Amino acid sequence: MDTWTLLLEGFATALQPIYLLYALLGVLLGTAVGVLPGIGPAMTVALLLPITYSLEPTAAFIVFAGIYYGGMYGGSTTSILLNTPGESASIVTALEGNKMARAGRGAAALATAAIGSFVAGTIATVLLTLLAPTVARFAVSLGPADYFALMVIAFLTVGALLGDSAWRGMVSLAVGLFIGLIGVDTLTGQSRFTFGVPQLGDGIDVVLVAVGLFALGEALYVGSRLRHGTIPIIPITRGWRTWMRRSDWARSWKSWLRGAAIGFPIGSIPAGGADVATFLSYATERSVAKPEYRKQFGKGAIEGVAGPEAANNAAAAGVLVPLLTLGIPTTATAAIMLSAFQTYGIQPGPRLFETQSALVWALIASLFIGNTLLLVLNLPLVGMWVKLLQIPRPYLYAGILVFAGLGAYAANFTVFDIGVLLVLGVLGFFMRRLGFPIAPLVVGAILGPMAEEQLRKAMQIGQGDPSYLVQSPFAIVAYVAMALIIALALWLKRRRARFEASLPPADTVAIATLDEEIESQQPHPELDRGRLSTQALPRQRSTSNHPEGPDVGGDG
Amino acid sequence: MSTASAGAPEQGASAAARAERSARIEAMIFVGLLVVLAVGVLISTTTIREPPGSTNTLGARVVPYAVGVLLLVSSLAVLVGQLRGRFGHPEAGEDIDLAHGTAWIPTGILALSFVSLMVTIPFLGWPLGVTILFAGASLALGAKRWWVAVLIGLAMGVVTQLVFGTLLGLSLPPTGTLTSWIGI
Repeated sequence: MDTWTLLLEGFATALQPIYLLYALLGVLLGTAVGVLPGIGPAMTVALLLPITYSLEPTAAFIVFAGIYYGGMYGGSTTSILLNTPGESASIVTALEGNKMARAGRGAAALATAAIGSFVAGTIATVLLTLLAPTVARFAVSLGPADYFALMVIAFLTVGALLGDSAWRGMVSLAVGLFIGLIGVDTLTGQSRFTFGVPQLGDGIDVVLVAVGLFALGEALYVGSRLRHGTIPIIPITRGWRTWMRRSDWARSWKSWLRGAAIGFPIGSIPAGGADVATFLSYATERSVAKPEYRKQFGKGAIEGVAGPEAANNAAAAGVLVPLLTLGIPTTATAAIMLSAFQTYGIQPGPRLFETQSALVWALIASLFIGNTLLLVLNLPLVGMWVKLLQIPRPYLYAGILVFAGLGAYAANFTVFDIGVLLVLGVLGFFMRRLGFPIAPLVVGAILGPMAEEQLRKAMQIGQGDPSYLVQSPFAIVAYVAMALIIALALWLKRRRARFEASLPPADTVAIATLDEEIESQQPHPELDRGRLSTQALPRQRSTSNHPEGPDVGGDG
Repeated sequence: MSTASAGAPEQGASAAARAERSARIEAMIFVGLLVVLAVGVLISTTTIREPPGSTNTLGARVVPYAVGVLLLVSSLAVLVGQLRGRFGHPEAGEDIDLAHGTAWIPTGILALSFVSLMVTIPFLGWPLGVTILFAGASLALGAKRWWVAVLIGLAMGVVTQLVFGTLLGLSLPPTGTLTSWIGI
């Protein structure tokens, strides 16, 4: 097969020692920032965009691929071990994994998350390998109107589906599109919204948008509401003999496969990204679980960790399908990676597999390698990741600011950009405070100029007739699919919100009792739980999403 | 979402109510500014010069108009939603404590430390600029010993200078106009 030869060539590139080193660097960095609270993969890739100014493209993308996958692994470690309400993307893992950890089964939760991520990530990468060239071959025949349709889909799904409410997402999207408009129009040479400032003539650099909103905005926001005092970390056993018992394997493997099957397709269509995939997987696991296990859900069911984690990673690989074959990003991280491609003058899209074949296949091969490295590194190094969780927060966020400054200054080497970054950071700060999602803004700012270009090309071909935009069968199918996706996803979101609101807080003792009870029903050799301690935990604090206390302010 | 939990002391409840009221005022102002921005976009779009060209192509104004309308409609929709009491929820996160109020002063110092780079990079160079940024930011966030913050900041400045400036070849200035006598 042609694909396989190309993939093998990709492996030949990616397995060179120097690239292996870059892959290792990428996964370590990715896991580290995934573990660190407050830093996600989007922020990391944004902060590391400056390396694209000096590294060659293959090396840079191998690093980015490592960060992308590593970030997914790291996030689950945090939500399992850290006793605070987590981010929404990993909320279902936090739901079950955190409760498993509090009942003394943290090692098993970490193991099933890591192995499940590996299994699903590998399956999804195989699917990506098989699917991407086919999609690319098909996409070559698409015209500007079709591309415009695809971009509208990406805009509307990202805008309507991420965040609290559809309108808030659309506001964020519109602000992003506006930021994308600033600068001299390439077609007519007219400056738009530059307010006479010459530095704005080239437009606002995408690096600034990403770093300002993700790094600076996040640091300011966390700084304004920093949790003081030590954050309790759930202790786990030292030895790894009790990782996963036979019953854990038996309960996990089907969930991993189901998670991969749910995650990959959802990741590859623009339907709100990994959030939707993890929730769907969780709901599926709960409904197919045997009755005696089902009552464990919400109190630390291992399927509830295995499935969503697998789905999360499979979705991450799925996101790469539209990114590489069509040049359409469906998440913020993908949008920033797209801009990294553009820094090199490479345009992701159907031609990418022809013009940059070596680069693409090396990138795909490095996904396989990164996945394997993560499995090998992650479980033994969990002690190190736990140490990372203990970095004093003042230094962590001050360090983020330093790298934000580096990213801003290195974009054009003018201090003017530092000022632009501050404006964007303050915008991001208020958007976080007031419940506006950030991702639509970033996608709008990056994809907006490309969409305008396609729209104008299409209008040229169609001789100024707007109905040309909906004439090709592909465009019609795309718009219909968009309407369906949005309707379905909004319904799912409502279900999820209702479901999360209905979760009762469970206390550790009840979880442990239920766990014992289930174990006593199944024959397995070791009942070794004695060395695990749950005593170090403050019991009064629940993992529920709503902080309790007399003076909860501002979230009404 | 209900705020004050049952049985909270009278004082706590009124503080929570005050905090919620100020959050609502802030949300209304922010969305109001967005509406103003949208109107501004629409007005200034009319001043974009449209060179006379072929009628087949879209000019420089069409997309800005569309974006302006989208911004106006969506921010008005959010505004109406807020008038009906549907406010957004502040983002949650591992390090974020929503149970307490906003610490405005540390946040201001954070922003100031960051902007100080605009002055410190040209006058003092990158490593010293980073030192000031790091020390200012970490102290604002509650670092205990100031000299540790300064030392870590200096170390970060030097290391990033070496890695990104010397090794990766980004042109970060090692010294500025005031420190050029160091002569590196």
